[in-house]
Amino acid sequence: MAGSRFLFEQLVRRELRQKYQGSLLGVAWYLINPLVLMGAYWFLFGVVLPVFEVEDYPLFLLCGLVVWIFFSQSLTAASTSLLDQGALIRKARFPRETIPASVVAVQLVTFLAVLVLVAVVCVAIRGTLDVALLVLPLVLAALAALALGLGLVVAVLHAYFRDVAPILGAALLPWFFLSPIFFSVERITQGGAERFVLEWLNPVAPFILAVRDVLYAGEVPPADVLAYCVVAGAVAVLGGRALFRRLEPELAVVV
Amino acid sequence: MRPGELVLEHASRAFAVRADPGRSLKEAVFGRHRGGPPPVQALDDVSFHVAPGETVAIVGRNGAGKTSTLRVLAGIVPLDSGRVEVGGRVVAQLELGAGFGRAFTGRENVYLNAALHGLAKTEVDDRLDSILSFADLGSFADLPVSTYSQGMFLRLGFAIAAHMDPDVLLIDEVLAVGDEAFQRRCEERIASQIEAGATLVLVSHDASLVERTCERVVVLDRGRVLFDGPTAAGLEVYRREALVA
Repeated sequence: MAGSRFLFEQLVRRELRQKYQGSLLGVAWYLINPLVLMGAYWFLFGVVLPVFEVEDYPLFLLCGLVVWIFFSQSLTAASTSLLDQGALIRKARFPRETIPASVVAVQLVTFLAVLVLVAVVCVAIRGTLDVALLVLPLVLAALAALALGLGLVVAVLHAYFRDVAPILGAALLPWFFLSPIFFSVERITQGGAERFVLEWLNPVAPFILAVRDVLYAGEVPPADVLAYCVVAGAVAVLGGRALFRRLEPELAVVV
Repeated sequence: MRPGELVLEHASRAFAVRADPGRSLKEAVFGRHRGGPPPVQALDDVSFHVAPGETVAIVGRNGAGKTSTLRVLAGIVPLDSGRVEVGGRVVAQLELGAGFGRAFTGRENVYLNAALHGLAKTEVDDRLDSILSFADLGSFADLPVSTYSQGMFLRLGFAIAAHMDPDVLLIDEVLAVGDEAFQRRCEERIASQIEAGATLVLVSHDASLVERTCERVVVLDRGRVLFDGPTAAGLEVYRREALVA
């Protein structure tokens, strides 16, 4: 990617322009989406069925939601990105991975903007201005690597097999409900096996826990959670790139 | 490999014929797609060598493998077997303005498109004024390309590609799209690049364009080289072929 940094920047700029052009609220939509979800889950689980007694429940929700939205939208956008640029891939030679990488980067830019706002609100309301915040860049870098790695995988697989994007779309909904976004795992089960599945088999869960630990609780996440994040990010990005490189040569033929 | 040199040796490439080039998972898991036409052999043992600075036209009927040959030379499509090697900077003009951002201004698209050609920012900075003046956009340079006429769009696309200082120039019919004045300017620009030492490989159905710009013709037929030699004789073979078909 080193030689194609300029191309990557240009593609990110094009994506950003195309996204926000002609929409009145522009970037604000990225804030409205998690806020609407937050409102819905707060109403459902905080007011109608107050099963989880969590302090400042809307903020608890928001920390998980913004991570989930970044993750799921990165994969969704990446999955169709190569086909969306099919005309270009058939006609020009350039490093193909810049395409899924640029759509994930666009999601990252908006995610970071939203996260800064969430962090400010958390610090103000929860008083979580703590050294724990220093861990956040590490968690976010690992999260970006996870999204990029899995984004490369779904992008190149969808170019070969057109069922991948619909399968992903179908999987993301139950995945959302199984992620510890509106609950914390220890509140719903004490079983070791169940906790393992919910907290460790789901690659997004440790990231949600880590971001929530820092912003909502003002605590440094446990070492095993941090280690999981770093390893998951590294494995995803290395594995994703290896698969992409392997399938890349025929892309101009299959898209 | 010298810059501008170009080699195809026993190059073969087949394409599966399907309405949707992608496969479904079902097909991949439960075996190959049954029925339907067999794969098309787009290149069937094609060999030719082009020296730096040579000008070559590839002609042939539709489906002869002309565009596939260019895409192989451009490094967009890999071979099934055989060898392809191209020396130096290759600039392929298979479609003008491919990859333009509709919401980007002309100026911004210069940067994007030049980046797709592999240029760094400073290299684009140096060429920007020259590209914009060649494209002759006037006050439109800072408006989104979605406001451009077809002609302006193509002029900008060609202007960018024409400023990439190629060692090898691969051109596929793109000159057929503009008006006469535009075509003349493009031809002049290409001629000046050839004078500067660039190798040209041109795909075209326009016999007079081929006569004007190329000293050598490769006639393809169903993926095979039917003739490779001087332009006048090559066009003769091509005409005869076209009539037989």
